[in-house]
Amino acid sequence: MLALPEAQACVMDALMLHSRGAAAAALLRPTAVPSAQQRLQIYRNNLFESLIAALGGVYPVVARLVGAGFFRHAAKAYIRAHPSRSGNLHDFGGELPGFLHAYQPAASLPYLPDVAALEWAYHRAYHEAELPALELARLTEVPIADQAELRFHLQPSARFVASRYPVLKIWQANQPQAQDSGSTISLDEGGVNLLVVQWDLEIEFRFLSIAESRWLCALADGASLAEATQDALDNDPAFDLATTLARHLGRGLFTGVSLPRTLRKRVRT
Amino acid sequence: MNQPLRQLPPRAGIGLRPEHYVDFVESRPPVGFIEAHSENYFGRGGKPLHYLMLARRDYPLSLHGVGLSIGSVDPLSEPHLQRLSELIDTLEPSLVSEHLCWSSVGGIYANDLLPLPYTEEALSHVVSRVQQVHERLRRSILLENVSSYLEYAQSAMPEWEFLCEVAKRSGCGILLDVNNIFVSAHNHGFDAMQYLHAIPRAAVQEIHLAGFTRNPIEEGVEILIDTHSAPVADAVWAVYGVALERFGPVPTLIEWDADLPPLSTLVAEAWKADSMLETHHACAA
Repeated sequence: MLALPEAQACVMDALMLHSRGAAAAALLRPTAVPSAQQRLQIYRNNLFESLIAALGGVYPVVARLVGAGFFRHAAKAYIRAHPSRSGNLHDFGGELPGFLHAYQPAASLPYLPDVAALEWAYHRAYHEAELPALELARLTEVPIADQAELRFHLQPSARFVASRYPVLKIWQANQPQAQDSGSTISLDEGGVNLLVVQWDLEIEFRFLSIAESRWLCALADGASLAEATQDALDNDPAFDLATTLARHLGRGLFTGVSLPRTLRKRVRT
Repeated sequence: MNQPLRQLPPRAGIGLRPEHYVDFVESRPPVGFIEAHSENYFGRGGKPLHYLMLARRDYPLSLHGVGLSIGSVDPLSEPHLQRLSELIDTLEPSLVSEHLCWSSVGGIYANDLLPLPYTEEALSHVVSRVQQVHERLRRSILLENVSSYLEYAQSAMPEWEFLCEVAKRSGCGILLDVNNIFVSAHNHGFDAMQYLHAIPRAAVQEIHLAGFTRNPIEEGVEILIDTHSAPVADAVWAVYGVALERFGPVPTLIEWDADLPPLSTLVAEAWKADSMLETHHACAA
């Protein structure tokens, strides 16, 4: 008789197809029909079907682009390579963009991993909280001498997606309500830098210039205003800080500012 | 939140599902309470939490978890408990429930409700886990019996005895899923009535009803699968009637999660349960 830890490991191995299930089948009360293997197969189906459905829910455009049969096949391989690691099904599937990148059968669709990245960003942004926007008045409280050291806090939903392909167009053309315009999307028409963010409960896509994207990504990673701006200027000497800052302030992307501990005492609260 | 309704009334409720968010808050159907799957609100906002908070203003809430994996030998997930605890503070649910099952090994999740072997070892494990959860959440929870498609050779007691012992030793309540009893009774060849009559009257604080699917294995043999994708079967309504006689008018949830019908169909199922509850309420009074 196996103790509980071994019994659970044995059953999980059988369900995840790490074993043929002989050891797990031996744990079951013997029955003729359905056999122990058939009983395990019911659970195996439940596991794979519910995870495939979860992936389909997060990645409807990827599924539509490759077709249902291909998607199921890829999803099964994904589940085995990147099993669920959370009791919350909404956490499942985040490695699909990277997985598709290396997935040979999808190699003829080079934009597919980026479409997946866009869908994952949408999915995560959808469930995030929206915080009140930072007000300009709060910025003016910071002494001018310290402003270069400011750290900007972004909406928790903010995600960045960069692609060499027109992934937003592809995504939009594959929405259920999309009209078939009859025109085709040229993969050569150029890439996009996108900010995905929740605003008034809806998910918005905002196009960014490369320098703007560098600036925001640096801020999101905790860089100071000076560091992020240098990053942007390195990319594009014409980067216009004042306009860019005003644009994102005006659209509620920032939710707060802070200063490193050494400078904090100088900020009025 | 303005004066949240704290107790579930002895009426029928329905699950609040994303497809029905707008319809639900606009039409405010006459149901006794709503149920929400905890994990669907683990993200800290967006439409899911927005609509649940709107609905919560007018309806008592039962918060039902599917992913805590109480029966696993893995350590309980602290981030999961943390988020559940925050959600409880935000939503002030009348009841918080989980399943009598396991779903993870070594951090890998099946995201399914896997049955336990009903042994003394598993019993003391589950009891200590429920106690940990009670301490962490600073409240008691209900445990729900799951549908199952396999039994372990080493089980030393029937499921109903295991469930009752867990409740007795840990102090948790029971969320009795009448459909799951019916499904498991069919799949394993036990008597659903024996199950019902083994459960102490006072332990049952909520009842679940759902639809199942018949899965043919071979000529003349079928396994029932708890799919939550159909109306409650007539035979399950009959077992529900017996359950009401035994347990009195207990708040009852209609579960329908897959192939979701229009909200009105779900509400009509709830009314059916309500009319049976009223009969028993009248009897009890």
